[in-house]
Amino acid sequence: MEHITRGRLAALVFALGTAVLGTTAVGATDVTGIGTLDQTILGSIPAFQTANRQLQQYGASLQKQYLGRAQHASQSDQAKLAQEFQAKMADKQRQLVAPLMRKAQVAVASVASSKNLTVVLDKRMVVVGGTDITTNVRDLLTGIGDPVPPVSTPPPSSVGFVDQQAIDATPKVKSASDDFLSFKNQQDKAFSDKLKAAHTDADRDAVLKEYRKTLDDRQNTTLKPVIDQTRSAISDVAKQKGLVLVVDRADIIYGGTDITNDVTAKLK
Amino acid sequence: MTIGARARRPRLAAAVAAVLLSACAHASPPPGGPNVIGYIDMQQLVQKHPLYDQLEKYDLTIEAFDLRATVPQATASDADLRKREAELEHELHAAATRTQQLLDQKQQQYQQQEQAAIAAALRGAGFGGPTAAQIAGSVTQTAQAQQAGAAAQMQHDYASYRTTLQSQDRAQLVAAQKALSGKAAREYSAQAEQLQAKESALSLQLANADAPTRLALRTKLSSLALDDAARDDAQKQLADLDKKEADQVAAMRNRDEQTLAALQTQLRGQIQQELNTQASSISKRSLTSLAQRQRQLAQQIAPFSGPSVGKGDTSGGSLPAPLRARIAQLHTDYQQRFQSDAKTTIADFQKTREDLSRRYAALHGVAGAAAGGAQEQIATLRRKRDDLYDQITGQIDREVKLIAQQRGISVVLSDVVAPAGGVDLTPDALKDIESLHQ
Repeated sequence: MEHITRGRLAALVFALGTAVLGTTAVGATDVTGIGTLDQTILGSIPAFQTANRQLQQYGASLQKQYLGRAQHASQSDQAKLAQEFQAKMADKQRQLVAPLMRKAQVAVASVASSKNLTVVLDKRMVVVGGTDITTNVRDLLTGIGDPVPPVSTPPPSSVGFVDQQAIDATPKVKSASDDFLSFKNQQDKAFSDKLKAAHTDADRDAVLKEYRKTLDDRQNTTLKPVIDQTRSAISDVAKQKGLVLVVDRADIIYGGTDITNDVTAKLK
Repeated sequence: MTIGARARRPRLAAAVAAVLLSACAHASPPPGGPNVIGYIDMQQLVQKHPLYDQLEKYDLTIEAFDLRATVPQATASDADLRKREAELEHELHAAATRTQQLLDQKQQQYQQQEQAAIAAALRGAGFGGPTAAQIAGSVTQTAQAQQAGAAAQMQHDYASYRTTLQSQDRAQLVAAQKALSGKAAREYSAQAEQLQAKESALSLQLANADAPTRLALRTKLSSLALDDAARDDAQKQLADLDKKEADQVAAMRNRDEQTLAALQTQLRGQIQQELNTQASSISKRSLTSLAQRQRQLAQQIAPFSGPSVGKGDTSGGSLPAPLRARIAQLHTDYQQRFQSDAKTTIADFQKTREDLSRRYAALHGVAGAAAGGAQEQIATLRRKRDDLYDQITGQIDREVKLIAQQRGISVVLSDVVAPAGGVDLTPDALKDIESLHQ
């Protein structure tokens, strides 16, 4: 299952969304049927550990190959090489982990259905509450025989989700993102040279502060307008669908209401 | 979007959110309930945590290392390295050419003197004409050709041997640095973890001890019937309580930071000292090996150096034995004079070459160790940064759980994309986190 961290673009969209919607939270909708799953515990199941070990070995070998080829390559060739190796890694991941993932998904669906859950979230994003189904799922995965899929599909959930990658791929967002990345690459090179020329800690701190400010300023001019539009689109769709919250797809393990298509349509 | 872009965005998010949320801070708090879902902006809360400065320091340091050790930067270093290598090679080549030109001039000069002396001896014995020049000059050409070939081979062998040695040195130096850094990192982490555990234990102990008082005060404060004086008094008591805990933890943290800083300085010194010792030992061994190889090659080339007239020279075969002996003696004399003169020039060249070899070895050793060291440092810093982040979020989680309990909210999520109808607990959590600063 995809490993995720707490900080990402979703947080940005969320943060801006919060400002607009925070005052409308009075009279919040009741939410029941939220489950949680600790993926690190599932990751300790021997089958997952073996797959992960194989994946790490493959990753280490790819890393060596990449460094060997990238050492004398130009910057643009290095970017192409990085893409090529990332694709290889993703293929290997699919090959090694996908069968286990499918089995795990069936197990999660089976447990969620039996407990009348409408959505199961990654435990790391749940600070309080929710029904933890980790032990049940682990027992199913390590027990004899394959887990049996539930007869019914998940009931409608008031927790919605968007696929951040799909939103990132929309022309407007992608263009802004590419523009920022290109700018960042230029600045990385320029500030790397400045950093080399800095001889004291104070000089280095000043260079780093200037580097951050330069990037932050560019973010404000390039990315913020697009993020505002994204925020507005997600909020509109969430309201139309009567959803309580919208989370990133990466945090959804089971169920939830997918509003990605509605949001991307609004962004076009 | 790439990972790099994503990693930077939450900072902006939190900054913008902080500004916008502050406008809503005085709005009435939304009601809770057993089936109501709450949410928090974890990034914003992290930024208000007392340990955020430390987290930011880690981020800044990692950013600095990243800037120095990014792939484009590695390429730039590599190009820089190649440029400096080329400069050194150029210097070596120029020194070799200068030396060769000097030797050629001297050789030519001694050959002419030798040929003139032999010709005079031949003329004195009644042998005139071009034969004298032929006798003196014919073998010299062969000797020159042999000398040139041998010198080129020597140069090639020496360069190849030097490259092999440098590669071994670099590998040894990187391995040594990795081992030393790893050892130091383990020692530092063990100490940091031990101190951190003590800080966390103290923080928890204080929080637990004061929890009933704090809860009672908060409950009192949430009462609408409380008059202003009583409210002020309760708030003051709460603030005093927070301050007392924060002071105790901060005092311990200050002591711990000093301990860790001292340990870090000590470990850095140890690493540098041990690395210098090892680098010096490796470099010394290599230079000894290089000098030894140079001597071996010089001995191999010795028979070809200097002008030489073979003893079995057929063109002088018809000469009387005393004259042949006289010519041989003249040749030996001039050869010795040339070799003595050339010795100084060759010694100068060898000195230059040794100096360049030393610089070349240092260039490779330092570059290799620096590149390996930066990656190692980044990995260590990231681990520490993640540990600290987990500690911060752990404490925030505990605060949020208390708030949710008080508000009767059954589920709280962090980092949602859009909160269409949930209860935002971020402002309440912010107040609690900010009180930790006092």
